[in-house]
Amino acid sequence: MPSRRAQSSGLDFSPATPSANLFALLKPYTGWILLLTLVTLVANGFNLVVPQLTAHAIDAYTAHTLHLGSVILSFFFVALGIALFTFFQSIVQTIASERVARDLRNDISAKISVQEYATIDQLTPAKLLTNLTSDVDAIKTFVAQAISSLISSVFLIIGSCILLLMLNWRLALAVIAILPFIAGTFYVVLGRVRKLFLKGQQIIDWLNSVISESIIGASLIRLLNSQRIEEAKFEEAAAASRSVGLQIIGYFSLLIPIITFLSNMATLTILLLGGYFVIHGSMSLGSFTAFNNYLLILIFPIMIIGFMSNVIAQASASYDRIMGVLEQQDSKDEGTLENELSGTIEVSQLSLKHGEHATLKDVSFRIAPGTKNAIIGPTAGGKTQLLYVLTGLIQPSEGTILYDGQPINAYKKQRLHEQVGFVFQDSIIFNLTLRENIAFSTTVKDGDLQKAIDTAELHDFISTLPEGLDTIVSERGNSLSGGQKQRIMLARALALNPKILLLDDFTARVDTNTEHKILANVAQNYPDLTLISVTQKIAPIEHYDQVILLMEGEVLAIGTHQELMQSSPEYVQIYDSQKSTENYE
Amino acid sequence: MNSMKKNQSHISEAASLSYVLPTESSPQGKGTLQRAWGSLWPLLKTERKNLSIAGVSVVINSLATLLAPVVIARAIDVYVANHDFAGVLRYGFILFGIYIVAVFANYFQIKRMGTVGRGVLFKLRNELFLKLQNLPIAFFNQNKTGDLISRINNDTDKLNQFFAQALMQFIGNGFQIFGAAIFLLVLNWKLGLATLLPAFLVFVVTQLISEWVKRKSRAGLQSLGAMSAEVQESLNNFKVIIVFNRLDYFRTKFKEANQANYHASVWSGIASGVFTPLYTFASNLGQLIVLTYGLYLIMTGHLTIGLLIGYILYVNSFYNPLRQLATVWSSLQLALASLDRIQDVLSLESNMPVLHAEESDVQSRKGESVLEFKNVSFGYPDGKQVLHDVNFTLEKGKTYALVGPTGGGKTTTASLMARLYDPTEGTVLLRGRDIRTYDPAIRSEKIGFILQEPFLFTGTIRDNIVYGNAAYAECSDEELAHALNQQNLSGLIARFDEGLSTKVTGNADGLSLGQRQLIAFIRAALRKPELLILDEATANIDTVTEQLLDEILEQFPKETTKVIIAHRLNTIRNADEIFFVNAGSLTLAGDLEHAVDLILHGRRES
Repeated sequence: MPSRRAQSSGLDFSPATPSANLFALLKPYTGWILLLTLVTLVANGFNLVVPQLTAHAIDAYTAHTLHLGSVILSFFFVALGIALFTFFQSIVQTIASERVARDLRNDISAKISVQEYATIDQLTPAKLLTNLTSDVDAIKTFVAQAISSLISSVFLIIGSCILLLMLNWRLALAVIAILPFIAGTFYVVLGRVRKLFLKGQQIIDWLNSVISESIIGASLIRLLNSQRIEEAKFEEAAAASRSVGLQIIGYFSLLIPIITFLSNMATLTILLLGGYFVIHGSMSLGSFTAFNNYLLILIFPIMIIGFMSNVIAQASASYDRIMGVLEQQDSKDEGTLENELSGTIEVSQLSLKHGEHATLKDVSFRIAPGTKNAIIGPTAGGKTQLLYVLTGLIQPSEGTILYDGQPINAYKKQRLHEQVGFVFQDSIIFNLTLRENIAFSTTVKDGDLQKAIDTAELHDFISTLPEGLDTIVSERGNSLSGGQKQRIMLARALALNPKILLLDDFTARVDTNTEHKILANVAQNYPDLTLISVTQKIAPIEHYDQVILLMEGEVLAIGTHQELMQSSPEYVQIYDSQKSTENYE
Repeated sequence: MNSMKKNQSHISEAASLSYVLPTESSPQGKGTLQRAWGSLWPLLKTERKNLSIAGVSVVINSLATLLAPVVIARAIDVYVANHDFAGVLRYGFILFGIYIVAVFANYFQIKRMGTVGRGVLFKLRNELFLKLQNLPIAFFNQNKTGDLISRINNDTDKLNQFFAQALMQFIGNGFQIFGAAIFLLVLNWKLGLATLLPAFLVFVVTQLISEWVKRKSRAGLQSLGAMSAEVQESLNNFKVIIVFNRLDYFRTKFKEANQANYHASVWSGIASGVFTPLYTFASNLGQLIVLTYGLYLIMTGHLTIGLLIGYILYVNSFYNPLRQLATVWSSLQLALASLDRIQDVLSLESNMPVLHAEESDVQSRKGESVLEFKNVSFGYPDGKQVLHDVNFTLEKGKTYALVGPTGGGKTTTASLMARLYDPTEGTVLLRGRDIRTYDPAIRSEKIGFILQEPFLFTGTIRDNIVYGNAAYAECSDEELAHALNQQNLSGLIARFDEGLSTKVTGNADGLSLGQRQLIAFIRAALRKPELLILDEATANIDTVTEQLLDEILEQFPKETTKVIIAHRLNTIRNADEIFFVNAGSLTLAGDLEHAVDLILHGRRES
């Protein structure tokens, strides 16, 4: 089974959807955003009252009308009001941003949960992890810090422009002429920085996968004493991250001073031009002073936008990445059939191609209900792939699979998975209790659970555990032996009470004695089960109803053990390779 | 021997240490300023140059910001009012000059502090990763991968943000506050003291609530770690989730973790939001005190109204930076909470150090014994004893087989041979010398171990077979091909579609277990170890190919000692000795028939 991915943890600079609109995301939260903006404006407006209170008190003192008690009282309550309002603002801001983040995460996870296995494999868990954490965080910061100041800044800019125009339109035009330059600078810099932020997030994906591989491969690394190699890999990614980070800083260390400088140029223009107007009598000194004051109101929000540009650029880059996931095609479940499976499977002319190379070539066979079938053949012969296709984990390139005469895709996926148990070759154990690991499907009843445990010969093992079935299995099942993990996986499939059971090399890690017992248990406890077992060992399958010999993706021979011993030299070769100890097993 | 005993007791003490990282939200210390300084300064030491340049730039930038309005005011008061345009022009030039200086100061401030933040981020990430590499595998059995990733990627970034954005503001504000305070006291010490009183109260309250804020911040980060762990586990096991109809599992588990994170983050946000209103309140109280106390002083004839108006303006220059400090302070708490989570990992020490070897030990007894277990017992930290008082010796050039029921202790025995774990009691001797005294590089050269579930790194097959093998790291394709040929391994490589350049991925869903076992076999064979351990290394490989692997193994130098763990009896038929491993003890089985008898009828406990 060759790699299905052209790229993996490395960098992939394929363009995401061209700049998705960040503001569209906020539509459902219009209420929150309005509240946030309102509270921000009020809290800031409140602050303007304090100097007036002070001024009034002093005026009253000079006019000998001062009533100190009432001044203290009103001052105190205003101060308290400001504090409460500011606190309220921060609460609204927190709740609004956390809600956006939470809902976005739920959307992404809902999207992920309707994807096909191949899509997740292709998107890579490392990237999806970044999407769900770091990318969503960037958007959260945007909502928390930028949105209210952006909205109020826009209001302030428009408002002060109008005031300036009303006061002196010639001066105002001179000032407003600077705005396009500022906007232009933003546009150019933010466009470039967005690309860098995208690259930065991709490096986070890369870091994720290096860390995760170094943890899953921890034993190997320690055995080979190759920690330095892993450190070098990590440092390469970390250094790439630093380099992108420094490039971003490079842009902002230019952008912010330039914006500041351009706004300062507005001030300078006013001083010179306004001074000229006043000196030549076309403007009063009073309106000149007022003009200068309003100018400050214009410049302040421009600076705020400058400081927020970092947050905006990062959020927009992250939103693009998230949209890339949210816009994935859902895997369509067009199946409607929900009937009970008898166990009849017809596979005809099945091919599976990965680019040029075919892992399955024109595979055809028929499985009769209630029979025991074995698939045997050399490593890399396509056996595991065949099971994946039979469960719909992978779609075949050509050919059909019929369950009870109906194509596999005509069945409702859920119904199919309920009736087809699959014991994977590699152990997949969750960091949950044993009970949750075995009764992984929600439909499992207590009786079925117990039957599955007994069949998989797990009762002795479980009885040695102080907390029995409620023992939590350690991360990735690391404290369990290979055979224990394998039997838990079997119990998990059997607990479904399946009509069809697929075993992928199940017996490889279980000792012969236990294997005999388990197979006998299965025959006894699940008499009607249709079994398809991928295996290496011939001895246990000699009495099977059908043996399929799969080699390099092709069916070489089909028949019972006796028939294949007669007809297939390749089968005989495999048989011979096991003969020497066969009498023991 | 004596010193060895001492070491032994030391080790068994250390072995009982747990590697579980704290996941609750209690921080390790109080979030006070002194502690903050103590934790942050070591990170900044190497950044002195950038810090000084940024510091100077901050001062210049603030001076320019303060100076510009003064220049404008003067230009208006003196020249505009007197209709002297030449003077206005002259001041315009001065102003222009100030703005130019500000541009450069601003540039250096942002650039240098950003560089410091990135430098710290880089350093911390590497340190964390280095620490992970130096911890034994027991650590990884006890902690969630997703949470570790979150610590390395997210927590470090919180510190980066603090350094890049908040630190200079912190220093600048602190500077202004200090200066203004002195100015206020010099101007009128009575009024000054009264003004500073609310600031003092705020200082006390800050000390009291900082810890609470930090705890909430930590809870937020912990829940983010827990969420990452959920994502990591579910997505890496996605095929089981699909086949068992548990797409809802991912959705609901994630939803739970997400909701928990929402809850913790809202609290963390609210806690962080406490400082700003508090400081604003103090600032307004300060003004109120100045106003009332000032008016009282005027009434008693100690102050003039003009001085009071001036004083009120100066009070603002004390309280405005203090108010800004509130934001910085909450981001400091977040940074400290992150640093705590980082230090949770950094403070762990491996309980498997390389012991100092005695002179006499180093000149190891040149006997035939390659590996020896002396009274070895072992149990995992979660309690269950796996091996009891195991004794055996492996001799040079012989092949040993370990057989027995699953869960009997075969893999554990093999893991102790390669020092993946240290025994809780007893000693493992490699070439007559305590295995713990070997340098890991030498140990890994001597011992080859093919793991039950082989792991492949993302890359090509070539990358994987020469992985960690200094001899072939730099060699050309031809040299590698030659080496493979010599050991009859080329045929195995040819089974992959694109030979050496076939791509593989870390989660290895691209290759079947049998294929991965083949690659692991080639990887181990190329290393030519003295002791080769095969832990069900060929269990998923077809028996015809397995015969081929047997032939390859037989062509190994005859000094090579082999330990084979297998369920398939044909795998072990060539063994010189067979050990039956069951319920934590090893029994010599003699010949194959006796072994089979034990397997089929022996006492079993698994």
